[in-house]
Amino acid sequence: MVALIPRRLFCTKISRNCHQHQLQWSVKQVTKSNFNDSLHDFHSHLSSSDFVAVSLQNTGSFSAPWHRLSSFDCPETTYLKARRAADRFQLLQFAVCPFTISGSKVTAHPYNFHLFPRDELNIGMPSYSFSCQTSYLTAMAQQGFDFNACIYDGISYLSRAQELVAKVRMGNPIAIHHVMKPSSTPPSVADTIFVERVKSRVKHWKKACADSSSRKTDEALVKSLRKLVLGGEQYGSRPCMTIDVCSERQVQLVLEMLGEFSDDLVALKIPTKGGGTQAVRVVLTSSKEDKSLFERQLQNVEEEQNKKIRGFREVIDLISASQKPVVSHNSLNDFSVIHSKFIGPLPLNMDEFLCSLRLVFPHVFDVNHLMKEIGPLENVTNIPAAISYLKNRFFAPIDMEISHGALLNEGKIHGQTVLRICHLFAKLCSVLRITPGAIQSSDDNITSLLDGYANSFKSCSGSSQESVDGGIRIWTKSPRKVGCKHLVFLWGFRDSLSAGMLKSLLQGSHDVFSEEFDVCLVDKSCAIVVFLQPNLSQAFLDIMSSEGISGSLRELVSEGLRAAGYETYKRACGLGYWEADLASSLDKASATPDCFSQSGSETNPSEVFWCNDLMINLGDL
Amino acid sequence: MNTTKHWPKRALILSRVLSRAFFSNTSTSASPSPTFPLKHVTRSNFDSALVELRSHVRAADFVAIDLEMTGVTSAPWRESFEFDRFDIRYLKVKDSAEKFAVVQFGVCPFRWDSLKQSFIAHPHNFFVFPRQEIPLDGPSNEFLCQTTSMDFLAKYQFDFNACIHEGVSYLSRGQEDEARRRLKSLYKEQLTNSSHNLRETMDVPLVRVADVLFTERMKKRLSEWRDELLQNRSRGPQDQGASNDLNQQFQTVFFKMRPALSLNGFTSHQLSLIRMVTRKHFKDLVYVRFNGESSSQELVVFTDSESDKDRLVEEVKNEHYRRAEMRIHAAVGFRHVIDLLSSENKLIVGHNCILDIAHIHSKFLGPLPLTAEEFVSCVNKYFPNIIDTKILLNADNILQQRMKKSSTSLSSAFSLLCPELAHGFKSKVQSSQPCVKVEVHVDEMRSPDWNSGAKHEAGYDAFMTGCVFAQVCSHLGIDFQLYSTSENLVQNEKLQKHMNLLYLSWINGDVIDLRTGSRTAEFLGSNILRKRFPRILYENIVLIWGFPSKLKPSVIRECICKTLGPTSVISIYRMDQTAVFVQFSKAELVSDFLILKESLERSDDAISVLHPLSQLLEGGNTRAASYETYKDICESPVSELLFADQAEAVGIKWKTKLLPSDVVESQEDNHFHLENALDHTPETVEKSKIRKTEDVVNDSSNKQLTCNEIIDTLLKVEKIRRTSNL
Repeated sequence: MVALIPRRLFCTKISRNCHQHQLQWSVKQVTKSNFNDSLHDFHSHLSSSDFVAVSLQNTGSFSAPWHRLSSFDCPETTYLKARRAADRFQLLQFAVCPFTISGSKVTAHPYNFHLFPRDELNIGMPSYSFSCQTSYLTAMAQQGFDFNACIYDGISYLSRAQELVAKVRMGNPIAIHHVMKPSSTPPSVADTIFVERVKSRVKHWKKACADSSSRKTDEALVKSLRKLVLGGEQYGSRPCMTIDVCSERQVQLVLEMLGEFSDDLVALKIPTKGGGTQAVRVVLTSSKEDKSLFERQLQNVEEEQNKKIRGFREVIDLISASQKPVVSHNSLNDFSVIHSKFIGPLPLNMDEFLCSLRLVFPHVFDVNHLMKEIGPLENVTNIPAAISYLKNRFFAPIDMEISHGALLNEGKIHGQTVLRICHLFAKLCSVLRITPGAIQSSDDNITSLLDGYANSFKSCSGSSQESVDGGIRIWTKSPRKVGCKHLVFLWGFRDSLSAGMLKSLLQGSHDVFSEEFDVCLVDKSCAIVVFLQPNLSQAFLDIMSSEGISGSLRELVSEGLRAAGYETYKRACGLGYWEADLASSLDKASATPDCFSQSGSETNPSEVFWCNDLMINLGDL
Repeated sequence: MNTTKHWPKRALILSRVLSRAFFSNTSTSASPSPTFPLKHVTRSNFDSALVELRSHVRAADFVAIDLEMTGVTSAPWRESFEFDRFDIRYLKVKDSAEKFAVVQFGVCPFRWDSLKQSFIAHPHNFFVFPRQEIPLDGPSNEFLCQTTSMDFLAKYQFDFNACIHEGVSYLSRGQEDEARRRLKSLYKEQLTNSSHNLRETMDVPLVRVADVLFTERMKKRLSEWRDELLQNRSRGPQDQGASNDLNQQFQTVFFKMRPALSLNGFTSHQLSLIRMVTRKHFKDLVYVRFNGESSSQELVVFTDSESDKDRLVEEVKNEHYRRAEMRIHAAVGFRHVIDLLSSENKLIVGHNCILDIAHIHSKFLGPLPLTAEEFVSCVNKYFPNIIDTKILLNADNILQQRMKKSSTSLSSAFSLLCPELAHGFKSKVQSSQPCVKVEVHVDEMRSPDWNSGAKHEAGYDAFMTGCVFAQVCSHLGIDFQLYSTSENLVQNEKLQKHMNLLYLSWINGDVIDLRTGSRTAEFLGSNILRKRFPRILYENIVLIWGFPSKLKPSVIRECICKTLGPTSVISIYRMDQTAVFVQFSKAELVSDFLILKESLERSDDAISVLHPLSQLLEGGNTRAASYETYKDICESPVSELLFADQAEAVGIKWKTKLLPSDVVESQEDNHFHLENALDHTPETVEKSKIRKTEDVVNDSSNKQLTCNEIIDTLLKVEKIRRTSNL
């Protein structure tokens, strides 16, 4: 175990100070009104930092007790549960903190963005409705959360997937920046006729425009008549004309033809609602300078529009573009929310999710996972507890320097968690000696040192945990590693039966229960039986479905007792049977024909950590 | 934290007052009407407000209500459509009431004051939030928010902080019963095994030296105290002051008329040690944990005898029970208001209030029943007299004319019918009747021409509803002087015919009668202005979903017309981008279509690709079913955004659901049609057609059908169909 013997005594004072100040760290609060200004600051802070910490505030995380992550969840079900929560609940605050670690000093620039999924473009996006868990809202209220600020002034956003849809739906003209290559296929007769017709129209129109610009003193009536005859329109202050097209092929032909006029014509695509092209609009500019001016204008308009569409997602895009490592406390939950709100709908399985996520965030660190490297910390899941654990055990003082320190005043207290994550991360790096004494500015250096820890999502850690420190378990109630196939789900027993009562009921009911086994309740409707001997679980399941069932077990079954293996549980999650009681979900899943396991999900024998603490944990549901 | 709790309300009220002042200044030259906010009720002033409200409701002639919710529809396809059948409409209302939360509840009792010749209104605006005050079993408390509704509320400056921080919580009747049952069973359990419960409590093993020493010291300390008490008793009470504790941790107090030692500043571990010492070594001392209002207090109480000890234990238990009961009573919270409205049997007035009533049922009474009929009978039991001002406004022709073309929305009805109240001046178009006067009382403040102007605030909306109702009554010729009691008003025959009628859906005027559960499509002198839709025949409807999203309804119509004849489709209605209703001209076409679709999907040869329907079936995810399936899908508690996803979430795996009719019968005799097809009597054609097409399915499922056979059969079907059309 790593133990840092006092190295720099003079730090004690500072680190204690910082601990006292912990609740008063000032975080820049960002709403709709100051978003654009803050975005600029954030961008410069981001580019000067080495890491980015994120922390999210959602409106809830589970709809029924069994939807919570439990120790018996394998990576797949963990992801499915996270996916369910991310789809259902809404993100209200997103705290981001670019930070740099140099030695024991952390320089942090915390921002707390208030979000609200406002339908600003009137297209039913980013979200039609969202769920709230009253207990979450009550807890937020107790911390002084300002819901009015959030709902009145929260920043809206669209995910990348939604942006594509929105652009099509709005039907704004799209500037064509790249002149397409001449088509390889020889033009057909119809093509030639089409091109000639359009060419003569354009020529005519251009000439007429030139004429009219020379005669500036036209009467209004004459002007409008001319417009009517020529079919010319105005685009801003410039004349333009619309060429209707029937296919993408024709779009290309028009563009090629316009290439001959390229000196002063700009082409715009008018999209249809379905995503195709409805027409090409040709805008006449007066000179080369005017053309470039117009193109710049178009670009600005487009950027402005994109900014409006993206909203808060700009921050996500900046982080992604910077390729800085992202530090989070509960990475699977956080990133499934980030993916569903800012990237696109969550994929059906974990592998696809990780692939898709890696494209956007190549380096993700989970402090929870890093803490596991220390060993016994695996039971410390909340940040303050982890910090105080490290504080008691290791001497690794961290000096936090906050950029908005001077701005400290009331109402700036939200988003503290993100700073604690920075703090904890720095401390962990120092304890684990994975941060070099002086961090070089080059990103490659850091990431190569931390590479072993990157992208280990908490749920995948099952295997890596074993490899790191196999035997060292200090806790007396150490989690045992149990294969999923040793677990049997039981339901349909009497109400208000405790795990102990159920266990004693089972004990005498059949031979399979003569060996050691364990029972715990998942929720009030369903229990898990863990067989510590191999093959007993299958034997039990076989007995439950056989005719020759006898004794008190038979009585229990006739009262309604049912049993299913872990696959049924997986199927219930996979098929989205998120009923309020696990029992009803399992009922539904076992009634559904098994089309899931054939897809190769069984290939990796998943294991879970069986923990005796489970019963205690369930008490506070 | 306190500051955050208080500022929003103030700021809100101020802004409302300002905006109202501004509004009245610009709209009229008259001096701005005296404005004060209506009565806002949060959990801090709930108890006192409830007492006042009780007396106001008792005296009232009618009570107007209005609710603000966090949303209305959980998915776009759950919105109200013309193609919704009566039972579907109820399912949509039910879904909305089950998923969304009530955040504001406006209650406004109106009382006729014959001296002032005016109504007295007491508008109350309750902030409601479903906080979980006492632990209950069951799924975690969760509700849905519709983004646009939240935005709408924000636009009208709804105070979310007041709602979530300070909103009044509630328990439904079901939840309250459950909580009481749990408490009782807990109490009973304690009573039955109270004696050995004490002995059963596990002893704390004394492993550490510190524990042993501590225990010894406590033993000594307690016995000293007891001895002192006994001596004092024999010596008389005057010497009490002598036992001056050096240790502040022990204080002699009296608990239930008995001397007791209150324990302060011990850790829970130490307390459990003291508890053990008391139990083991002192027969006449009882360790008591007493839960006060905010904190709990640990005491060691001296008892005279064994029986006295039992009595004490009993007393403490009863006290605990009583407190737990009080907590439940307090947790019932806002439901006390609903109980009050129900028990006082007053006339309840709402505006287009079916959803409000459904919310009241699901939040405060119990889960909503599956059918509209059951719902209605249950509502009628609790609220025997409900009147909907929207019904009143649309029922009366003269009122209709007076409303002209303006909508019957609450605010436009209010400003048209009660111009003096709405704008503070008499309307230029003088009506035959004068405005009914309404005086508003809020706490000590009263005003004859009050207007807070805060539209879409439940309390104010309730006030407007009441005013509109009063005005309509006077228009109907109801003399409040004569009908000055609530009972009389309810009995009034002019009102009777509108009583307990609610719009189940406003969009096509389905009205439900709360007394009988019967429904009428808009009755009496219904709104003439409204465009009437031709009656929809639900058995003629096919539901199609999952088709390629680029297909427009017109293309779908074309596809189908090409196959089933140019006049086959009456109308096509787009539910969302993934689903349409197709109404055929005849019910038989429904099964024709489904059978044809099924057969096309089963065969994958050239003909099915060339078939005009193939455009609709492109992508292979196009599903179709009869109208009944729509009901099944609406019944599901799931709400996916798109209808196609919803159908999948409900668990629909099949592509086409054929109609069950005639299937069994026709399978008995598969070749029957061969003889009969030649017969051209209309009935047999009708019959055989179904069988014939049925055959197509049977055969193709056996994969014995060639292309030509399919074409033949299709042609035959078409021919028979044409002839039967003649």
